[in-house]
Amino acid sequence: MVLVSLFGVLTVVLLAWALGFANTPLLADTAAAERIAADALHDFCPIEAALANDRRGALVAGRDGRVALVRPFGDRWVVRIVNGAATQVADGKLRLKPAEAMFPAAVLDLGAVAGNWAQKL
Amino acid sequence: MTFPDPVQIAVPIFIVAMIVEMFAIRAGARGDYDWRDTGTSLAMGLGNTFAAVVFGGAIVGLGTLFWQHRIFDIPATWWAVALCFVLDDFLYYWLHRAGHRIRWFWASHVIHHSSQHYNLSTALRQTWTGNLSLGFLFRLPLFLIGFPPKMILFCAGLNLVYQFFVHTEAVRRLPSGVEYWLNTPSHHRVHHGTNARYLDRNYGGVFILWDRWFGTFEAERDDEPVRYGIVHNLATFNPLWVAFHEWIAIGRDVVKAPGLRGKGMALVGPPGWHSGTTADVIRARWEADQPTPHIAAAPAE
Repeated sequence: MVLVSLFGVLTVVLLAWALGFANTPLLADTAAAERIAADALHDFCPIEAALANDRRGALVAGRDGRVALVRPFGDRWVVRIVNGAATQVADGKLRLKPAEAMFPAAVLDLGAVAGNWAQKL
Repeated sequence: MTFPDPVQIAVPIFIVAMIVEMFAIRAGARGDYDWRDTGTSLAMGLGNTFAAVVFGGAIVGLGTLFWQHRIFDIPATWWAVALCFVLDDFLYYWLHRAGHRIRWFWASHVIHHSSQHYNLSTALRQTWTGNLSLGFLFRLPLFLIGFPPKMILFCAGLNLVYQFFVHTEAVRRLPSGVEYWLNTPSHHRVHHGTNARYLDRNYGGVFILWDRWFGTFEAERDDEPVRYGIVHNLATFNPLWVAFHEWIAIGRDVVKAPGLRGKGMALVGPPGWHSGTTADVIRARWEADQPTPHIAAAPAE
């Protein structure tokens, strides 16, 4: 039964990959990033957002001064408040690492506004 | 009367059903998969099977001990199986409700909700620590009443197999009579939702009547698609982190919490108590924003 189960797991996972269930999500615009942040954080009211140039992440500022990171996770999104996260800005890219265990660092190419957003954190 | 293991029989059917669901989605049915998410779900399912092998003997032993002090001698007949099945589902409702309302139990159950997907593979995303968190205590009354242990295990297995098939978006609604009595894909989608409207609703395993009777029923609405996952979604597919993250958070909160009450609430309070994001708080905030009062137990369509 263990071998049947292992074979089944491998078959299903490989088939999922082969059938194209392996997307990386893209944000359509800043409004989409704001909606995703508001949906994920029940008490968050977005007022502005900055989209990464590759549209694979965003920062969303809330009315209360909190800033949410929207980053891809598989083919979905995951959102975290990142005020107080370790940040680094270089060449228009903002690198931030929240203190949360197992939450990967994010690098957002925000161009000229990267420094401004780093200061919000 | 002999009692086979329904789960063991169903494993090949589970695999075929997932494959059929994937092809159906590619052919236009509702639903979605992500191979990484599915890999994690199935790894959790495998781990759950191993945990059952490790701890199962002790739990069956405890159940048998209770059965030796049983109140009634219940024979292995069809009516006893039917009664056992219904009572087992009733106790499952309370176990499941505790699994969402008491953090100690949630630490095990959160695993099942930790996917942002809802498909048949999500059904197999099961805890590794359910026996350690003592969830089996909820089923001990069945042994004490006098149902034969093998019959109880058979009914629990049937319950589990039934619940596998409600984890799909491909089925919209079943006939209204079925939707009224039974847990269906529609009802269970609500259960996996993080929308304020849907949080901590529809705990029923096979029968949704328990939710209707005990005030925890919420109907799925076509104008409010379900957002699957947990309030604080995970950012890793690592099965070890998926299995133990809430236990680690509990340990951290117990250490940090000031006073006995704080430590106690970190352990057995509602999930989110420390951050002020319990389901009740989220729902109350949402209800306050609604233009008209929300009626929780909406009738089935």
